Amino acid sequence: MSFEELVGDIPDGATVGLGGAGLQRKPMAAARALARAGRRDLTLVSFLGSLDVELLLAAGCVRALHSAGVALDGAGLAPRYRAGRQEQTIEFVEWSEGTLLCAVQATARGVPSLPTWTGLDTDLPQLNPGVREAVDPFTGERVTQVRALALDVAILHVPAVDARGNAYVEGDFAIDGALARAAQRVYVCHERTVNADPRRAVLSRLWVDALVPAPGGAWPTGCHPDYKADLGVVSRWAAEGARGGIELLAEPVR
Amino acid sequence: MTVHPGDLLTPALAREIAESGIGVYAVTSPASVAAALAARELGAPDLALATGFTALDAEPIPSVTLGEEGLFAAGAAFVDDPFDTFVLLARGHVGVAVAPAQLDAAGRTNLSGAGPPGHPKVALPGARGLPDNNASPSRIWYLLPAHGPRQLVEHVDVVCGAVPPAGAIRRLLTPAGCFELRPSGWHALWLTPDGAELVAGAPGLGIQCNGEEPIVSEPDEAALAAVERADPHGVRLIEFSAGGEAAERFQQAAAREAGG
Repeated sequence: MSFEELVGDIPDGATVGLGGAGLQRKPMAAARALARAGRRDLTLVSFLGSLDVELLLAAGCVRALHSAGVALDGAGLAPRYRAGRQEQTIEFVEWSEGTLLCAVQATARGVPSLPTWTGLDTDLPQLNPGVREAVDPFTGERVTQVRALALDVAILHVPAVDARGNAYVEGDFAIDGALARAAQRVYVCHERTVNADPRRAVLSRLWVDALVPAPGGAWPTGCHPDYKADLGVVSRWAAEGARGGIELLAEPVR
Repeated sequence: MTVHPGDLLTPALAREIAESGIGVYAVTSPASVAAALAARELGAPDLALATGFTALDAEPIPSVTLGEEGLFAAGAAFVDDPFDTFVLLARGHVGVAVAPAQLDAAGRTNLSGAGPPGHPKVALPGARGLPDNNASPSRIWYLLPAHGPRQLVEHVDVVCGAVPPAGAIRRLLTPAGCFELRPSGWHALWLTPDGAELVAGAPGLGIQCNGEEPIVSEPDEAALAAVERADPHGVRLIEFSAGGEAAERFQQAAAREAGG
């Protein structure tokens, strides 16, 4: 599948899960394609966001954002995200890492909500209508009840897939597996196709709807072992991203 | 303090980790990686290092990169379910050092924003894992680059991490020293030479000193040597720096990461 075809599958107003975490394995080429196509009113779900969120905010594609946090690692705060929250130009739905994982797992399991032990006595219920204190019906214990969060699509970026569509990652897979199981359609962007033992796959082809060849497609975030995050660009975005400069996140020169 | 705070506090964290008895340490930043790798040399050789959410027993690459996300490049022993992270937290098996923007007198934490919940005057990264780890019985270190009234307050603006459960060990490392949260509040375990003055300058936290705390002016020599072996370029110092110094250190690290 091409990026043009991928974007054609995603209408305005869709809820889009973006894989990766922080400055690793962000589906930046797909985000650029969405921006180029002028998508509007998207609801993003980015577990730990960075330049994926920044690019789509800068391009005016985003109505709402679900996340446990958005930052630029050692380079500091994410300027567009920061401005969007301070000026209330986006609907920010704040999760913790554990509650966001619960929310997508609830969708994957086909239940309306799941209880968890995290989040009690915090301000999360004020910040997120999908997080609520409840009483366990069996023990009477206080729990946090987390409402299921459904995704129209999940877009992941991985270093490798095999010819059948199984995905391979070295290092951390973040919550990408849960995002895939919570989405109606799953697109896996990848650096290359390999012959590999499917038992080493991190995501089965059973959860994958389409493969999108995307060498360099996570840039300027990293995709181990193929390339590291381009910290020069990350640093410049931290300094200049608030005032424009979306060209900084355009296609890399290779 | 003449020694760089990062060169005092990172070895101190390494010693804390080594002596804590934890089996898994979740790395979150360059200093925490350096401290964890050093802890293995200081008496915890089997300490498992968790990077990210599915690599709970990984071998971080020798050179310290720029943060938790950089460490996702570590060679993981195997891939776990991301929920395993929270199982380990709930069972008290993990140690983690975090850097909230605010920490308060009862041990609550904030990384969401300054100002009322949902209406931040200054938006910060977001709650991240603070609600999860602060509510757990696992061991948490708060590693802060500054000891001041903006970070250390009577009550956080936004409660991301709740008051820790009874019996959970919570320690705070700052340029003022090392402090522990007890039922009666924060208590000083040791102070730096400037510690008493810094503590007095951030009264919101309500730190109790008895005047007999050891004064620590030099890093633990063996721990610092181990930290420097893990992080020979001093990337850890970025998180203890501010303004121009932080930017310069970041640029230097970025150039190294790019192979320059």
